[in-house]
Order: sequence, then structure tokens, then C-alpha cells
Amino acid sequence: MTNTQQIASAGIAHQYTDYETDEVMTWCGGCGNYSIQNALKRALSLEGIDRANVIFCFDVGCSGNGSDKMEGYTIHGLHGRVLPLAAGVKMAQHNTHVICEAGDGATFSEGAGHVVHAIRNDYPVLFIHHDNQNYGLTTGQCSSLTPKGCKMNAAPEGNPIEPLNPLEVVLSLKPSFVARTCCVDTEHMTETFQKALNHKGFAFVETLQSCPTYNKHTTHEWYVENIKFIEKEFPDYDPTDIWQARKLVDNTVPYLGMIYHNPKRESFLESLAHKDKNDPMLIDEVQQVDVGNFMATL
Amino acid sequence: MQTKNNRTRIQIAGQSGAGLLSVGLIIIRALRDLGFYAVADREYPSLIKGGHSLFTINVSTEKIHSLSNVADIFVSIDKVSLTAYFDRLKEGGIWIHGYERLAGIKDLQAKAKERNITEVHLPTRSTAKSVGGNDLMQNVVLIGMIWKVLGLEFADVEEEITHKFGKRPKLLPFNIAAAKAGYDGVETQQKLELPKTKERRMIIDGNHAIALGAVHGGVRAYYAYPMSPSSTILTHMADMAKETGVIVKQGEDEITVANLSMGSWYGGTRSMCGTSGGGFDLMTETVSLAGIIETPWVCALVQRPGPATGLPTWTGQGDLKLAIHGGHGEFARIVVSVSDPTDAFDITQHALNAAEKYQCPVIILSDKNIAESLVTVPEFEKGKIKIERSLVEGKELETIKSTDRYKITESGISKRWIPGSNVDEYYFANGDEHDEMGRLDESEAAGDMYAKRVRKLETIQSELPEPDIYGTEKDADISFVGWGSTKATILDMISDYAEKGVKINYLHYTWVHPIRTEKLEQFFTDNCNVHLIEGNYNGQLGKLIEKETDLKFTGKLLKWDGRPFFLEDLENYINNN
Repeated sequence: MTNTQQIASAGIAHQYTDYETDEVMTWCGGCGNYSIQNALKRALSLEGIDRANVIFCFDVGCSGNGSDKMEGYTIHGLHGRVLPLAAGVKMAQHNTHVICEAGDGATFSEGAGHVVHAIRNDYPVLFIHHDNQNYGLTTGQCSSLTPKGCKMNAAPEGNPIEPLNPLEVVLSLKPSFVARTCCVDTEHMTETFQKALNHKGFAFVETLQSCPTYNKHTTHEWYVENIKFIEKEFPDYDPTDIWQARKLVDNTVPYLGMIYHNPKRESFLESLAHKDKNDPMLIDEVQQVDVGNFMATL
Repeated sequence: MQTKNNRTRIQIAGQSGAGLLSVGLIIIRALRDLGFYAVADREYPSLIKGGHSLFTINVSTEKIHSLSNVADIFVSIDKVSLTAYFDRLKEGGIWIHGYERLAGIKDLQAKAKERNITEVHLPTRSTAKSVGGNDLMQNVVLIGMIWKVLGLEFADVEEEITHKFGKRPKLLPFNIAAAKAGYDGVETQQKLELPKTKERRMIIDGNHAIALGAVHGGVRAYYAYPMSPSSTILTHMADMAKETGVIVKQGEDEITVANLSMGSWYGGTRSMCGTSGGGFDLMTETVSLAGIIETPWVCALVQRPGPATGLPTWTGQGDLKLAIHGGHGEFARIVVSVSDPTDAFDITQHALNAAEKYQCPVIILSDKNIAESLVTVPEFEKGKIKIERSLVEGKELETIKSTDRYKITESGISKRWIPGSNVDEYYFANGDEHDEMGRLDESEAAGDMYAKRVRKLETIQSELPEPDIYGTEKDADISFVGWGSTKATILDMISDYAEKGVKINYLHYTWVHPIRTEKLEQFFTDNCNVHLIEGNYNGQLGKLIEKETDLKFTGKLLKWDGRPFFLEDLENYINNN
């Protein structure tokens, strides 16, 4: 059963449509963002997560322009800073799903430091990395993921520098959840987001995305032809083995699926010795705390 | 031989990291227990060990707020520090030291004699060893010597030594023996008159007070990246985390910290962050974000002199303009200053309320002098300032509309509710210009939303408290206007000069921005010799006042060398003006 059928048969179409917007979309025709948001809405409704139980955090860029196109509580912050912003939201509402989205410019240039520490801290948020390998909203400059040699805005002779391999970076940081999906396959994205929504720590979802206007090297058609699925290609693949994962992402073939999962990793909130997951959320704790004991020792 | 206000001034100099801080702390605690008022501060370089530093204690039977730059009693542990600070010891003062080989300081001894200084000496290391102690215990010998010079009972300092070293019971008898040997080895020189009453007082600094104010004011998450002199707020918050359930997180940089805090406020709890000037520079884009999404955000900006790394462990008031202007675009914010631990505890709570009421960033300005000066103060009054969240809650949540969130109002203030608290009436906190529910809006109507946010500043200005006046209301011989840590020094001056029949008054800005000037105008009408006092080069508050009003200061007392205003700085200025 496709997830469209699942949504229909479970009678949860209203949950999907709750997130739908009547607003005019401002992305280019053929932009990967349409299907990414579509898949996210599907995943939320299939997981039974309504607007009271999710907060969306958006970075700045083409992905960020979706910030008012998901009908729910959202915050649209600063360029490169969505990871700490989302982590802060999660601290306040640890029982609410926090989903953050950012492009490759925000993630691996402006905010690269935050990726390192979001993974290291295992902040319990779902991070959708919109990887279209360029700066779309600023009209097609190179990002640190643009392949070498691509002619881009402000790189008329072609990008002179080798790109980063984002998942190599991520896997080097001992993450707890890494998956890769692609905007050409809504069904796969939906399932991937669902898995990520059920992860208790930081879920890094590399979402390969076409950019019809500026990315002429990895187009929609290129992805359709080239994506392969880990489950099909490597039936014995063990996503808990980080060395297999590192080898897999070293390959230029865009293998999609669950790349690495460490369910034993302690999330940030679990690592706080003085906090418990059954504690009230911080939003319900704001009250005058007696500081008499502390003053008595001074 | 004691000075005005019954003040006795003790300075202890030594190598950084050599333990003089603990000598100072034991002395000040023991004095506090006897009912004395005390103020203490430490001057030190930005190093962990090496270099010299100075611990100054002023003690009195009267309430005092600030420090003198002169010592009645000077205690030295090594020659480098001694040479650096010896001239702080007044003519006819007392010099306590513990040199083993006096031959090495013959020149200083001669100098002391010339200046009629009484030398109180005991070879501290060999004294410590003579009672079975180790090298480290020479500091404890010094404690005993200081205590005896002050003519106080040994039992009173013994109690503090036991408190300090009690965790290592095997060494405790040796520590006490070392102190006793120091005590017995010297004579009383300057007997302190004991206070008549003994009311319970804490010894606390400004950073600790901010931390307590934050916890008491409902802050549930504190984020910071270490930066002197703000770092001990983080330390104190972390120390209180276990007992209070507060989440304390050291972020990877100040941008992170600002955004973690922003996220937590948006999520609906109370949070805070703290930093110094350089870190605040990094936070300013987030301040701007708080401005446009009209979300509360509170940061303690504990100043040290800049630019760049500047003087990391010294004090100054050079970041007022940064606090008022840092961040791009035009939007409403509040800048409030603290002046001592007691008001830091209160102001932190007021700042949290104001941030929620006006849905804007609030910057709490402090400085190294306030942050680290230890003062004896009564326990803070709990429950005095109620938590006012200014949120839509309870039944009212059923009546709100998404477009209420950023409704364009006359006051500039619209309703705010916690995300998730009404399922259908959600909103977008949008860093892009937006309409009343937060949806992106680039139409010409965007100007109306822009104006609403800026208009909020007028509302804030009309509602914030006016400045306070200390000393006589009118007709003062000399008047001052200032903000932040200058208050402490002036309060001492007001009482010192009152004894001489000189009337001083002081108008103190706690709420600095948006600035209110009605009371200030009256102050200038009522007083004819009004001067500015500020710890910066440009007189930043003064410039602000001169821009907003036609008032002109008779003179300006400015200081920017990293040192706080000492009593002597004001004395000189007052005597010449």
C-alpha cells in the first residue's frame, strides 16, 4: 500500500490537509521542495502528529521560504542557525516533535560548526538537510557541496574547489541516526521521515534535492536514473556498523535508505543526569523557585 | 587611625594562583560573621598562574559600597607584587609580610621606614613548617598575622579556617596550628572596633546575584559560552541545576547560545544567556531576530574594556552603545543596568517580566566590578517581584485568532501564546517581514508592521521606571548622573561628604534605554552643578542625554583604564569641582 493509500484508508486525510496551505507557492516549477514538504506532511499524518505536537524551525534560503507554507507553529530564524534554534525549542517542549530544515549553504558553510555540535550533543530533533548543491535563493552561487568544475554564479570558470562529502562529515561525528533520501521519490522520503520522527536523538536526513534553475549537474532526471536503494542493493547491509556506512557514502552512487543508526546513543536530554523524560516540559515549570537554601550558604 | 565611615582598608598582593584569594575570603567571611560590612574585589591579569594580583578588602562597622585605592594594611606574599603595589600603602600604614630572607628586601624596608610604615614580619614558610605544616600553609600563617594585627579574637578566625579546610580533617589541625603561630607571633597594631549589632548578611558578587535572580525569576534554561567576566554566571547556574532542575548548557559559541535561548523563549519557557562584549557582538544578529519575531530574549552583558580582547579581567562601561544599537534594523529593545548584587537579583527578574510584556530583547548590563566584587548584603527578598508572563492562557486561548499574534496595535504590543497551546490558531514567528499571523509579506503594507514594532519603543519608554535620585533632592553642591557600577562609589561619597557638610546627590539610570528624561530635566533644574560619571572615554550616556535633551553637563568624570572608580577618584574630582 502506498502512503497515499494508507492515509486514505486510515481516515487521516484531514491530518494531512491540516498542514496544507492555500498560499501561492514561491518556489520554481520543478523544485524539489514541493515533494519534500508533501512527504513531510504525509509522514506527520501517518505518525498521527497534529499541529499541537510539532514545531517547525526553518533556516534561511529556498527551504526556508517554506516556513509559512506548513500550516502549523513555525519559527523562521537566521541563516545557518536553525540547529541551535531548534535545540532550544526542544528544551522548552521536550514532548513536542521539533523539525528543522536547512539547505546545504546554511548547513555546511554558514552554520557548519552547529552541525558538529548538534550531532555531538545528539539534540533530539529531526533535521532535514535540503541538499541541492548550491545557493538557490541568492541566484546560484557555489556551496561547499557544489562539485568541482561546475560553472556557477560568481564562479564563471567553474568551481575550483573540491566539495565536501556531507555524509562523510556527519559520520565522522558519531551520529545516532543518518538516512539519505531524495526528492524524486516521495514515498521513500515519507518512510524516511517517519523513521526519523521515531528516533529519540538527532536524526540527520540527507535529502538530495534537484534545483531546476541553478543545478545543471544533478538534475531531477539525473536522480531518477541514478538513485539506488540500500535495501535492494545490499540485502546484508547493517546500519549499525559505522564502517559499512562510511564505505557506503564514499561511493559516488546516491544510495538511499537507512545509512547509520545507533539506538544506544544517549540523546542530549537523556544525558542530563538531573532531568527525566517524565519531567514536565520547561514551559510548565516557569515559577518562582525558592533560592533560600542557596542564599543560606553564602 | 581608621578613615571615614570607620573604614579599614586591607590589600593583599601576591602571585596569581598563589592562594591569596582564599586568604582574602577567609578574612572577609570571618569579619562578616562578626557583623562587619565589607566590600572586596580582586585585580588580576588574564592568566591562571603567574603575574601578580591584588585582593582588596574594605571593612567597616557602617554600611559601605565601594573601595578605596589606598591601603591602611598591606599584606604581601612575594617581591614582584610587593614592588608593584607597595605605593598603595599609605604613609604610616602597616605592612604585613612573610619573607624568609630579609636581605632581599632591604631597599623596601628602608622605604617603609622613610614613610613611617610599621613592619609586621614573621617568616611564614618556616613558621608553617615549625608547627608541622607544609609550604602552602604559609598563607594560613598570614591569616593569623592579619587577624592579630586587627586585634580580633583567634577563635573567630579559627571557625572560618575550620569551615574552609574541614573537608580535609587530617590537615585541619596543622592549618589551625599555622594560623595560631602567625597570630601569636605578632602584635596587635590597629584594633578594630566591633560592630554593635550582628545581623545576618551574605557575601555575594553580582554574577551570583544574577544567577539567583534568574532561577528565582523562573528561568528554566541558561545558555552561555565562557567569557570573562560573565563566566561565573554559568558556573553558578550549573551549580544550582541539580537542585532546581534548570537546564544549563555551555554552547559551542555565542551565536549558538543566543539561538538556543531564542528557541527556548519561542518554545514558551523562560531562558537566559550571558556573555561579555565580544560574545555579544556575535549575538547581535539574534537580537535583531528577537526584534522582528517579537519574542522575549534576555542576555546579561557583563562588560570589560574592549575593543577586541581588550582587558579581559578588568572593568569598564564601554558597551552601552553596543547594547542599545547592536543588531541590524530598527526595532524596540530594553537596556537595563545593574549596580550591585541586591539590585542585580531584582533587576534580573524585572528584565524577564519586561521581555515578556513587551516581547522584545532585554539586555542586562553589568561589568567586571559588579560581577566580581564581593559585598556583604542582607539575604535578598524573595517573592517580591511576581512572575508576569503576559501570555494568553486558560480560557482566553479559546478566543484568539492567528492574526492576533502580530496584530497591528497602537501600543505596538500584540498577544502572544505558547506554540501548541491552541491547535488551530497557530502562527509563524517569521524573521522575514510578515503580516499579522506571521506570513511572509513583501507588499507595501509591510511598512505598517515595521512601524508597529518601532512604535513599541514609545510604549516602553512611557512605562519604564524613571531614574532614581540618591542624596539630597535639590540644591546639591555637586551632582552626578550615571548608570551601573558608579552608584556604589557615589553612595559612599554622599555619606562621607555629608559629614563635612557638603551636599552631593546622584541621579542613577537603572533603565537606560529607551531613556526617560523628565526626572532628569527636573534634576538639572533643581541642581546647578551637574556632572556626568561614566566608565568609558566618550561619556556614552552623557552623549545620549545631550542628544535627547538640551541639557549640558558642567563636567564629566570619565575613566577607561580598566579600573573601577575608587573613592579617591571621586574625592579628587569633587574637591576640584
